[in-house]
Order: sequence, then C-alpha cells, then structure tokens
Amino acid sequence: MEPGDSTKQARAAAQLRKGVLEYCVLALMRDRPRYGVELLHALEDSGALATSQGTVYPLLSRLRRDDLVTTTWQESASGPPRRYYALTDSGRAALDEFTRVWPGFRNAVDAFLTTPHPSTGDLA
Amino acid sequence: MKTSASLEHDYLSTVEREASALPADRRQELLADLAEHIEVTRAERPDAAIGEILAELGDPRTIAATALAETDNGTAGTPARSGAGAPARRGKVHPLIPLLLLTLSLPFIMVFPGEPGPLFGLLFRVTGAILLCTSVHWAAVQKTTGVLLAAVLPSAVIATANLSGGGPAAGTPALLANLATLALMAGTAAWLWRVRRA
Repeated sequence: MEPGDSTKQARAAAQLRKGVLEYCVLALMRDRPRYGVELLHALEDSGALATSQGTVYPLLSRLRRDDLVTTTWQESASGPPRRYYALTDSGRAALDEFTRVWPGFRNAVDAFLTTPHPSTGDLA
Repeated sequence: MKTSASLEHDYLSTVEREASALPADRRQELLADLAEHIEVTRAERPDAAIGEILAELGDPRTIAATALAETDNGTAGTPARSGAGAPARRGKVHPLIPLLLLTLSLPFIMVFPGEPGPLFGLLFRVTGAILLCTSVHWAAVQKTTGVLLAAVLPSAVIATANLSGGGPAAGTPALLANLATLALMAGTAAWLWRVRRA
C-alpha cells in the first residue's frame, strides 16, 4: 500500500469500496454469467465503485478460490474466448445475506451522519 | 516508439516483478487474467491505444498490492493455499479435556502406585489446571474454585499422605482418603461441566 496525496483524499471512498465491492460484483452476476471486461464496465458506469480495473482481477480470483463463483470459457463472435463468471450456490447465499443486512447497515450510518446526537438506544 | 506488444510485455513484467511475493500459481493466474483482459479489450475496442488500455488497468504496484492483500488475508509468500475458509480454532480446547485430566489424575495414581504413576498423575493435574485456566468455557471465579477444589486441595492431601509415610496405597484409611478426594474432584468436575459456557 502506498498512500500518496491523492489516495489520502480518497481514503473514505476506498475503504467503503473495499467492503462492498465483492458483493456488488456478485450482484452483477445475479441474473446471468458475465465476463471480466463486462463486469469492469458495469462497475465503471456506476461511478462510485469505479476502481483501477486491474485490482478487480485479484478479487475475482479470491471469489473463485472461496467457491463463490465458477468460471467457464465461452467462444465469442468477436475476438478471443471470454472467461465467464457465474454465481455458485454459496455465492448466491452470500449475496442474499448481504442484501438482507445492507438496508439496516445503510440506515444506521445515515442516522449517525444526519442526527447530531444519536440516541444511545440499540441500533441493531 | 515502442510497439504495442512490447508495451504490454513491459507492463506484465512489471506486475510479475511487483507480485513476486505471491505464490507462483497465484501470480501466473493474475498475469493470465490481465493478459486476457488486454486481449478482449483490444478486440472490443480496436481503436483504443494500448497505452490507454494499460492506463485503465492501473498501476502494476496497486494491482500487485491488491493481489497480496487478497491472499489469505495478507499472509503473503506462503507457497500453498492454506485451506480456504478453515477458521482458526486456537485456544478452544474441548471443555471435557481439562475436567477428565483433573479427575483421572487420582485414579491413575491409585492404579499405578509405582514410579511412573505419581509423576503422570501430577502431570495430568497440572495440565488439566492450565487448560482449565486458559479455557474460554468458564468465568474467572469458576476457574479459581475449580483449580482449588480439583487440583490444589487434592495435591495437598496426597502430599500430606505421602509425607506422613503412608503413601497412596497404605491400607484402608488411605484408600478411604483417596476415595473421598476422588469424590471431591469428580464432584467439582461435574459442577464445572454443568456451569460451562458453550
């Protein structure tokens, strides 16, 4: 890790991205398998989740090792065959779990950011 | 002016060098993924300059650092993957183990009163006491009570019996004393078993 001046400014965004990126990648595969470049374009179009493209490949590699995704090669009409990433059952379960906890998480953060003195009651 | 091929080659060589701490198979996989990405992107955007494609991929150092961080939570350099997802179970000894060690230490001495017996019995008791104290299954008060009743007190009784010349195998009174001590230890172990935390 090399914290330069520009990364210092972007630290909050980078920390957040680190936590949610893999679930967003899993979510992109929810309806159909996608190949790497396709996944990167979708992340890029999202704006906030855009990241140095090359860093997504180590993430995809880990998802594969953790058995959350599988890969298959498919021929393409244009250019080389593409490696398609698809959710496994455990990948789908991880995505469902994230989908379940995310709204509560998001609301809790919003509450902290908007309320000057958050109640000390339980936020769970 | 460098050719596209040499620019790509230089880029991948830099990634390979920066990722030298990665296990070899992981490093080759990363290089293959990046090469594939470049090839696919060039097919989809024939007009894009190779420099542009590489710039979008990003700094080789950042990519290598990310790959290292993704490698089993930062334990980079280990040559093999270490069973993905196997949670570490350090310090989680089954609660039955210290209790059995403590309780069985006395019968062990009674059955084997000869030389190795008492030594092993003592080892059992000390090991049991240590495991009890380091266990996550009991609160501090319970541990203290357990060690006092199941290890310290019996040890004192046995030492007293030995010093007073009888030894653990000297007739009916000694046997009764042993059985009483055993009952105390077994009772303490049973109590600890009942109050343990899951």
